[in-house]
This record gives sequence, structure tokens and C-alpha cells, in this order.
Amino acid sequence: MLEGVFGNITIEKILFMLYVYGEGYPLGFAKTFGEPVNRFQQQLRRLENAGIVISRLIGKVRLYTFNPRYPFLEELKALVAKAYEFLPDKEKKAYYTKRTRPRRAGKPL
Amino acid sequence: MKIEWQRIGIKELAALISEKLREKGIDTILVGGACVSIYTKNRYLSFDLDFVTHARIKDVSAVLDEVGFRRASSRHFIRRDCPFFIEFVAPPAAIGDEPLKDENKISTKYGTVVLLTPTDSVKDRLSAYYHWNDTQALDQAMLVAKAQKINLREVKRWSEKERRTEKYLDFLRRLRSKK
Repeated sequence: MLEGVFGNITIEKILFMLYVYGEGYPLGFAKTFGEPVNRFQQQLRRLENAGIVISRLIGKVRLYTFNPRYPFLEELKALVAKAYEFLPDKEKKAYYTKRTRPRRAGKPL
Repeated sequence: MKIEWQRIGIKELAALISEKLREKGIDTILVGGACVSIYTKNRYLSFDLDFVTHARIKDVSAVLDEVGFRRASSRHFIRRDCPFFIEFVAPPAAIGDEPLKDENKISTKYGTVVLLTPTDSVKDRLSAYYHWNDTQALDQAMLVAKAQKINLREVKRWSEKERRTEKYLDFLRRLRSKK
């Protein structure tokens, strides 16, 4: 849906993930969509260079979020939110309804 | 003019780079911690010069190459014998979601640097404090506010717009208590 605007579908997936979960990391994106991790790393770098996302290292994981200082953030989020409404339920269930509540360490699945 | 790269000051380097780029028709504005260094006479010392430009990085790169700065990553430039590194952050130059309304110019023997006003520099640092609780950024905002004349009414207006009135009041309290 936003592929035409952003130039590729990976960016769209990243933006939806950040919109829904608030944060994410390349391997997480790759596992969710079953795609190569470098595809997401490359596009996340592109978004970071443009000031749209920021990242910080937590242990060995580079965690990405929207950049709260990006001047068009509100407008971008509104566009992403609108596009998300149009996603088929099947797709929302498959990719954007992961468990986000905490799980105690050592607890069996 | 012979340049001592190891000993050059941040203000002089910023001016030199700005001037070289201007000669090629590339306008820049210095933002971030380097402005704090300049406004506080290095009471806070940044080694990072962040410029904003609408020019293509490829064109910027060609100019920086002439003064010995090599592209180290997509937007960073370094020179081996210079302690500072230069970054070109993505435009637009903005504080929060507002475009810059004003700018400051400082002239040196190497040229003129266009940079954030002291008030915008305070807002820029406070923005990092507001969003990420970065207390170093808060300290830098206070250093600028104490060293320069700033428009506190404007800082208050902007903070309210950012919905950070409480943190602004905290900044104000600390600023007054340390005066």
C-alpha cells in the first residue's frame, strides 16, 4: 500500500511494525516475515540516515524506534495508521499481533 | 593559510568547513553539541560537528575531500590528524516539529559559520532531555542558557507545544538554583 510512496515493501513492513509495537530489531523483523535480515538492516539504515528512526544498542541487539525528533513524525504516523487500517485481517493476524506482554525468565512455554 | 589540524578549535573548523562549502554554493547550518561548545567557550567540548544541508552528500563529499576529510560512512567525514569528525544529518533543520525561524552567524579568520541561535541551541538540547531523559543534554542546555542571552519565553512556548511543561519547569528550577 505504501510501497509506491516509500519505494519498497520492506520500508512499509518496518513502518507497520514500529507503528504497532513501538520498537523492533532487524532479526525480529526478519523472523516475523521470513526474509533475510540484511534486507531489513539496509532499509533501517536508510531510515536512520533520513532521521526517521533512531537506534540504540541493548546488549548485542540494535533496537529501532521512530525518532521522536523527526519533524514530520506526527504526519508520517497518521499516514501509516491509515494504511494499517486497510491491511487485510489475515495479514494483521500473521504479522502484527505478536505477544508483547512480558514473560518471566525460566518459565516453560 | 596554514592550518594546524590537530590544534584547530571547533568554531574555526566549523567556519572553515562552512566557508569551503559556501564557495561551492552549498549552504549549511551547524546544529547539535558543536553549538553548545561554541556558545559556552568549550565548557562543554563536543568533537562532533553536525551540519544540516539540503545539498547532495556526493557534492558535499567532493568539497570535504579537498580539505582532507574522507567519507568514513554514509554521512560521516574524518581527517586522521584532526580530533573532530563531521556529520551531515538529514534535513530539514528543525526543533521538534517546527522549522528554524532564525539563525546566527559567527565570523572567524577562516570564514563564517551559520549556526543555531543560543535560544534554539537550548531548545535543541532540551529536546534530547524531553524525549530521552538525557541529563547530559539538560546540563548542556543550562550551560548555554547561563553563558548566552536566551529567550526563555520562547523556550517555554515551545516546551508547552511539545507537551513537556513539567520538564521545562524542572529546567527552569535548576537554572535558577545554580545562578
